Amino acid sequence: MRILIVEDEPDLRSGLTRALRDEGYAVDTADNGEDGLFSAEGTDYDAILLDVMLPGLDGWEVLRRLRQTKRTPVLILTARDTTRDRVKGLDTGADDYVVKPFDLPELLARLRALIRRTTNQVSNQIVLGDVTIDTAARTVALKRKPIEITAREYALVEFLARHRGEVVTRTQLYEHLFDENDSSLSNLLDVHVSNIRKKLGGDFITTRRGHGYCIE
Amino acid sequence: MIIHSIKWRLQAWHGFLLVCLVTGLMTGFYVFERRAWLQAIDNNLQEAATPLLPRFAPPAGRIPERGPMDRRRRPPPPEEGGPRLPEGRPPDEPRGDRDAARPLPETGDVYFAAWGENGHQIAISSNAPAGLELPPAPASPQGRQLRTRGLNRELVQFVPAGRCILVGTSMQPALAELHRLGVALAVIGAAIVITGLAVGWWLATRALRPIADISQAAREIAEGDLSKRINASETESELGQLTAVLNSTFARLETAFAQQQQFTSDAAHELRTPVSVILTQIQSTLNKERSPAEYCETLEACQRAAQRMRRLIESLLELARFDAGAAQLKQLPFDLATVAGDCAELVQPLAHERGVMIFSELSAANCQGDPERVGQVITNLLTNAVNYSRNGGEVWIRAKANNGQVELCVADNGPGIPAEHLPKIFDRFYRVDAARTAAQGRTGLGLAICKAIVAAHSGSIVATNRSGGGAEFTVRLPESGGGGIGTRLPPVNP
Repeated sequence: MRILIVEDEPDLRSGLTRALRDEGYAVDTADNGEDGLFSAEGTDYDAILLDVMLPGLDGWEVLRRLRQTKRTPVLILTARDTTRDRVKGLDTGADDYVVKPFDLPELLARLRALIRRTTNQVSNQIVLGDVTIDTAARTVALKRKPIEITAREYALVEFLARHRGEVVTRTQLYEHLFDENDSSLSNLLDVHVSNIRKKLGGDFITTRRGHGYCIE
Repeated sequence: MIIHSIKWRLQAWHGFLLVCLVTGLMTGFYVFERRAWLQAIDNNLQEAATPLLPRFAPPAGRIPERGPMDRRRRPPPPEEGGPRLPEGRPPDEPRGDRDAARPLPETGDVYFAAWGENGHQIAISSNAPAGLELPPAPASPQGRQLRTRGLNRELVQFVPAGRCILVGTSMQPALAELHRLGVALAVIGAAIVITGLAVGWWLATRALRPIADISQAAREIAEGDLSKRINASETESELGQLTAVLNSTFARLETAFAQQQQFTSDAAHELRTPVSVILTQIQSTLNKERSPAEYCETLEACQRAAQRMRRLIESLLELARFDAGAAQLKQLPFDLATVAGDCAELVQPLAHERGVMIFSELSAANCQGDPERVGQVITNLLTNAVNYSRNGGEVWIRAKANNGQVELCVADNGPGIPAEHLPKIFDRFYRVDAARTAAQGRTGLGLAICKAIVAAHSGSIVATNRSGGGAEFTVRLPESGGGGIGTRLPPVNP
């Protein structure tokens, strides 16, 4: 899952980035509206955390322009808490609205819910035959037995599971699992896939040569 | 309590006056009419008696005459006159006319009787009532005497010869007329009173309706709906003027309240971001074991946020002190140029860092007040000018005495202030670019505090854009030593 944070307060941005990376998200950041819009339009993020009070373009304007081209889920972060502001935010095309100061666990839960909604999942549990994925606890179980799995591997499994039955290209995987700061080599993906197959069974992930990967 | 209602009191007083007035008028009119009727009957009797005298008391001497009676019209004989109805006449006809044209009432038949010297009856008309007897002789045997006997009015004339003539008539028709008049007067009086009360009630209701509107509006405002206004339908009356005054009061109240609310909400808003920083930093750090370097980073971020809150709180408190007039200001004579020079030196490192040149042009300008506070204003203006200047920009600071005032000017050649922001630049928390200044750790209260300090020195501060680009702030304070009004500080509450 790859997230974009657009926030101009450096300390808040760094705290959020650290928290989201800990959760296994790939995180990109922008400290002003123009850069934020540029990134949001250029990459398919799984969600965007957007501050309203931004230098240059403000959050509303970024959201309005983004909605002309993309449907990326947007969670508005703002210090304005009047009903009018909330209504304006949701009407402009925001998917959720969090008022500062917020509690980190709540923000993370809302983010999970946002991603779940946009991928049409109703619960935090994804069941694929013997394999059960808990997206809230970020754990994977095989025949009800918890499996040790790294954060990156988990992210790969979750992304494929969310797109169950679809062929996911390597580019897509790179876009959603790695952020701008990752200088991953292309074979890193193959290493992760091979490790997952070892842990969850060889036919858990199918390779469609020339296309990408798939979970049936 | 209904008794305490103004409307009821007005109505009761008005009703009481009306009843007194109408009763008095109607009673007076009735009494007058009654007297006139009696007079008319008496006149009739007099005239009827006149022709009888020669017949029954021939040479008995002169009949004493009464002037006004002779001038009266002779009444038509009852046989010819036919019934006349006095109540057919309009009651409000002027009195003079009525007297002249008064129709004599249907007096009924005039009857008479005459008695001889020895007291025996010598003549009696056929229509005389039974039991007519010789009236007792009066003290003075001559002259006429009028009396009311039962329903009859009689005139008795003793002539010197000892004879007596009596002329009489029944008052019944006249009394009936009077009765009818009385009833009519009562009905008219009652109608006037009822109409008067009704009109009075309507007027009172109409006049007092705005009071109900006012109290309704005031109640709603008291309940918290400050946007409520009194519906001012009429603006000319006294209550209309009151309504206008109250409405303008309510409007000012609402504005003041809205400003207060805006200020509180802005202050809360300013605190939200640093609190978010602290919460996010701490919660994300506590998520798992971190390296000492990471803990340090977190603590530094928290410290920055806390410092920002501290600055904000200090600024808020300072403003609150100025608002309450409780700011402690010294009253010292000082040279504005010296203070401005010190401030320019203070800001020099920041200017150097930003590649901005500061040019001073300072000539002695004596004024009185708190040099530290004035220095705070100058430093704030200079810091702003440097912060908004481009690299390689220039900032000028000028101080001089001018026309009984000392003038301090801070100008830059930066981007200036967009014209739409100029009028609001001294408002609390107002920012030309909200996000950028916030990120620099500024509170948005600096210029508001400058304005408060200058105002406490009886001075003025204005912001303009220079024609060549860039902003210019001018502070004017009263000059001291030059005399004149306004050289002293306003009294400051301890």
